[in-house]
Amino acid sequence: MIASDFPEGIYLVDFEFHPAKGKEGNPPVPVCMVVRRWPNGETSKYWQDELLTMRSSPFPIGEKALFVAFYASAELDCFQTLGWKYPVNVLDLFVEFRCNTNGIKLTHGNSLLGALLYFGLPNIGGEQKDEMRDLVLTRGPWTKHDKAAIIDYCESDVVALSWLLNVMEKHIDLPRSLLRGRYMKAVSRIQMNGVPIDENFYVALLNQWNQIQDLLIAEIDQDYGVYEGRTFKATSWEAYLISNEIPWPRLESGRLDLRDDTFRAMARMHQKVAPIRELRSSLSEMRLANLNVGDDSRNRCLLSPFRARTGRNQPSNSKFIFGPSVWLRGLIKPKEGMGLAYIDWSQQEFGIAAALSEDPAMMQAYRSGDPYLAFAIQSGAAPATATKHTHESVREQFKACVLAVQYGMGETSLAGRINQPLARARQLLELHRQTYRKFWDWSDAAVDEAVLGGRLWASFGWQIFTEEGLNDRSIRNFPMQANGAEMLRIACILMTEADIQICAPVHDALLIEAPLEELEESIKKSQRLMQEASRIVLDGFELNSDVKKICFPDRYMDKRGAVMWKKVMNLIVDDASATCLEV
Amino acid sequence: MIEQNLPSEQSLISLKSLRLPANYGATFGVKKLLTNVAVGKPKKAIFFRTHKSIDMVFPGMLLEQKESHESYLVVPIVAQEISELVRPVQLHAAIDRQNNVFLIPVPLPGESGTRNPWHESLAQAVEHAKIKWIRITANMHIGGYDIYEAEGVLPEPDWPDTDIETLVEVAFRGKIISALDHPVVQSLLGRL
Repeated sequence: MIASDFPEGIYLVDFEFHPAKGKEGNPPVPVCMVVRRWPNGETSKYWQDELLTMRSSPFPIGEKALFVAFYASAELDCFQTLGWKYPVNVLDLFVEFRCNTNGIKLTHGNSLLGALLYFGLPNIGGEQKDEMRDLVLTRGPWTKHDKAAIIDYCESDVVALSWLLNVMEKHIDLPRSLLRGRYMKAVSRIQMNGVPIDENFYVALLNQWNQIQDLLIAEIDQDYGVYEGRTFKATSWEAYLISNEIPWPRLESGRLDLRDDTFRAMARMHQKVAPIRELRSSLSEMRLANLNVGDDSRNRCLLSPFRARTGRNQPSNSKFIFGPSVWLRGLIKPKEGMGLAYIDWSQQEFGIAAALSEDPAMMQAYRSGDPYLAFAIQSGAAPATATKHTHESVREQFKACVLAVQYGMGETSLAGRINQPLARARQLLELHRQTYRKFWDWSDAAVDEAVLGGRLWASFGWQIFTEEGLNDRSIRNFPMQANGAEMLRIACILMTEADIQICAPVHDALLIEAPLEELEESIKKSQRLMQEASRIVLDGFELNSDVKKICFPDRYMDKRGAVMWKKVMNLIVDDASATCLEV
Repeated sequence: MIEQNLPSEQSLISLKSLRLPANYGATFGVKKLLTNVAVGKPKKAIFFRTHKSIDMVFPGMLLEQKESHESYLVVPIVAQEISELVRPVQLHAAIDRQNNVFLIPVPLPGESGTRNPWHESLAQAVEHAKIKWIRITANMHIGGYDIYEAEGVLPEPDWPDTDIETLVEVAFRGKIISALDHPVVQSLLGRL
């Protein structure tokens, strides 16, 4: 029974809010808040003017109280706007609903409405919800009648929350739920912080993007001749491939496979393909205007925590600066006097696999600092004295093999990736099985667990139900991805609580920010805490991290996008200097 | 400076206490069953090892049907009756790089104490495979097997926890001749 754990009460909380000035990317402006005590139903309602006069939350938020919300980071963003301290204990029923239904096909999705329908509870209609949300987004001024309607709507959500808590209480694994709630506090801090954007370049790019697209096509397509206007012509591409003798995968229908994944893989094998791939991806994926950039030139968007099946964040590709084409990340630039650091765990997935499977050879390979070369040495393909320089091509093949195993790639795909005969790919995969037998036994056991037990879990309770048919590749990959996500969450918790300014989590990396004179200190602290997070998740096994530092006036640049960035910058009419730092 | 705002030891301990082990499959005790054990010489491309222990060698009488590539294990009392059709062998437990276990029958010397060169060469290979990964190919010119040793430092074989009797039982499931009225014997004696 949760109630007995929190003598100062359990409070179900919901805010209505809109982004400041109605602009996505700006912090939220709270409109009203309704708080309902559970289980007795005592309810308090607060309108905007009243909230703005409060210096702290009007209900207990200490050790002995529990704050409950559905998608708590939004409520916590409002806490931050109001200058209130975060609650100590946060229980997010969205996260718990996701955790308890992950892998199960949900007819009505995982919104509050969806959760209510899942449990057969009464609910307010979707249409009415949309209508009320639109009313809030008008930013007022609201009539007395409007205000009453908004606050009633807000109250209906906390009433729904109380029904949900009634039915979900028995499914809640409290200590781990609170840890997930603690992560939602970190998410709120990160979302509110956002990523610094070079406003001048962004605005220039935004204004000229239409024209730039045509110029880019004209410049890049002159070597290919595959565009008609802005349309990529498959027949012209086929003709290009034939004249350049490039074999290309086809779909079952016999047509060329023009998916981006295929382009990406082929670009690795045939350098000639790379520019056209980057162009296609830039033109199709980039909707610049959707990028959420606030008035303070910071990219802020929902990080969408726990959205992916692995428990990873899944922010909108178009709203998040790390979502669109990699070259666009050149827009990330620290403000004057500030610095950024991109810190990622070194070979995180390999390290997780080694530690959780307790495979001694794999752990040794990770600790060597170069697991790919270590694998080549361990399997007898390279001498013990081999280095990255003496055995570069062998290392590349073994690296591709390690990555292939991680992604569940078969021998055919691996052969294509390393541009080697099928027999070589088969041999490499076999060597992996022979060298890391304990890992493979553990991976096979994960498949048994998923098939027989119907569930897999990560170190801190994130889980997936596998009854609805998860393929072998996803099952084997789940422990690495889900534990990677657990590690990132713990790192975010430890770092935000240590007052490190995180701008964004990016898969297995964190972008942090600090005044230039404190940057080194922040990096050291972050690396230490990221190492601690790996020890916590992997039962003492440490993962190292790599750092890329960006000091004002440099900008962030992903080396995969550097060429395209320079091309685009050359096309911007206002010729601001585009000095790129390749990281 | 770096120590500022870092989590306390106590808070890290309480965090660690929430950790769940990744012991997948532990409650189900799934175990790979040995369902198939081949009998014969390894193919020429297969690197293999043989077991070092004398306990992993099984002496037996084998009846080989070349046409169907089948081998039958004949119990001694029946073997005495059809001695011209069977041959005494030692079945050596062997394993390939994919962890497939199989049995290599090495014919024993005849009454004169000598073996034909092929058998002698196979016996030598089996001895060599106790310490090295090897593959063998038939060399018709010398009438024996060429032995190729693996050049890389390959890991030691991962033998299943199974005794030789079990391996023999699996290998010869449905292929043990324990009476003269066995159809194969009857056929060879021209009685069917």
